[in-house]
Amino acid sequence: MVHTISSIRTLVGSKSAIRKFATTPPNNKAACSLVQPVHHLIKIDKSKLTTRFDGLKFDKDDIRSPAYKPKDTRQDRLKEHYLNTLQSDILLINYKHNATVEKGLKNREWDGTSPYQINRPMRKPKGSNSELPDTHPIKWNNIPGLKSMTLNCYVREARDNEMLTISAALQLQQLTGCKPKIIYSKSDVPNWKIRKGHAMGAKVTLEGYEMSQFLNTLSEIVLPRIREYKGINMSSGDRFGGIAFGLDEEEVKFFPEIDLNQDLWPKTFGMHINVNTTAQTNEQARTLVSSLQIPFNTENEQRM
Amino acid sequence: MSAPAKATFRKAVPIRANLILSRIPLVVPEQTKIEQQYHDYQNQLERRMMWTFPAYHYFKKGTLSEHKFLSVQKKPIIKNPDVWYPKGVPDIQHGRERSKAQEVILPQNEGGEGSNITRPVEKNPIITTADESGDKSSLERRLRNTLYLLVNYKKTGWNFPKFEMKDGASLDTVAENGLRTIGGDNINTWTVSKKPAGVIKSEDGSCDFFIKSHILAGKFNIANDSKNDITEYAWLTKKEIAEKLNKDQFQLTEYLLTK
Repeated sequence: MVHTISSIRTLVGSKSAIRKFATTPPNNKAACSLVQPVHHLIKIDKSKLTTRFDGLKFDKDDIRSPAYKPKDTRQDRLKEHYLNTLQSDILLINYKHNATVEKGLKNREWDGTSPYQINRPMRKPKGSNSELPDTHPIKWNNIPGLKSMTLNCYVREARDNEMLTISAALQLQQLTGCKPKIIYSKSDVPNWKIRKGHAMGAKVTLEGYEMSQFLNTLSEIVLPRIREYKGINMSSGDRFGGIAFGLDEEEVKFFPEIDLNQDLWPKTFGMHINVNTTAQTNEQARTLVSSLQIPFNTENEQRM
Repeated sequence: MSAPAKATFRKAVPIRANLILSRIPLVVPEQTKIEQQYHDYQNQLERRMMWTFPAYHYFKKGTLSEHKFLSVQKKPIIKNPDVWYPKGVPDIQHGRERSKAQEVILPQNEGGEGSNITRPVEKNPIITTADESGDKSSLERRLRNTLYLLVNYKKTGWNFPKFEMKDGASLDTVAENGLRTIGGDNINTWTVSKKPAGVIKSEDGSCDFFIKSHILAGKFNIANDSKNDITEYAWLTKKEIAEKLNKDQFQLTEYLLTK
């Protein structure tokens, strides 16, 4: 919030002068510095200072880094399809006549009726806990596209048997070819018998070719095999271009990696699949995801 | 009171709905030489840095399948301190030479090859019979490109299928219904949007709107009723369209087409 000098004078009163830093103000208000200390916030990575870990000084996409992994290893069928066909179609579908920037909800100014409002953070927007982004009209440079995918495998039984997280991670690795991370519970929930810091499952984030590969398997092999599959719920969507849906432990068995080796998988795990796109609204995200051959359940929509 | 202003009516100008009916590519586009080399290089790198194949996970110890698998694997060169290795000292971990890509050979079934899922993949040729015979009315030609439907009008020559607007009908319905009248009902299409993708305004005031659509199944066949107007049709790539359309027309519609 920015207050001009004159507005502060009117709020505080004509007698008082403007406060200076680190001095007791004449109007006997408690002295406190408004400048946040900076030196505590700068993190120094000491591994970068020694010569012992030279490999760590490079970015992960640098070939000299030990963590380097080649990315463009082959032609990406889904990406080519997106660039060739989908992109122009999605541009046309999302076109609106005379579209303008739609302002999202923003923080509000205080009205200045009370002196206590000086230096207060701005009021939260009406009807929302946080600011919302603006919605820009879709043009050639902001056509919705895929960003990444996150597969999240939360295993409730892992609270009794932590070893199950390893099987869950193995399942994710088998399906995606990427190394998953173990996820830990964030807080104590006595009702669910969950303790903080307990391993509860695994997750993996896919990008690029691995994401395309997983999406292709999902839409071409797995979803068509599910009996009476109705599609993703139309209410799915986080308003900012994310679409989430789930597969249960029986549906996961249709992945060819598991299907062809069923003896190895006495137990499979359901998972949540989050598709992160550059779409700005739910509708745009749904258009994009359905263009990737993933059906949506529109039964309830037609009834309404 | 003043007299009502004289309404001036302009002559009604024709509005036409043009249909850009496309068949999307069936296979990935051809890579340039540099792209191919880059992908090959990255692929080799990936294979060299890949984790060692966990054979213990797929083949249980002491089983027949494990024996079959191990018997077809090539053994790496063993490191011996008394031997000089001209191609570098072997660096073996878990039975794998670490400086090279691991080659995993799957055991092939003898005899019944049809049922064996590990049999090598046989690719269909990219050049189809329609490509060889030069049949431009076939949908199974130029698998790598997007094909667009062009029809040859007796009066005006090659063009996208175009239809006069009727009262009360929207652009997309006129285009879709028009396609059925000239090409028969045996065609499944999906209109991308009700909004036109482009417009050409002529000097005489007439407007040509372009509606985008994809063919999903079926076949375009010139209907008997329209055989007087249309002599032939063709599914053409952008390059071929440049030859068939006249220059001005192509320049105005070029941006709507992909290669």
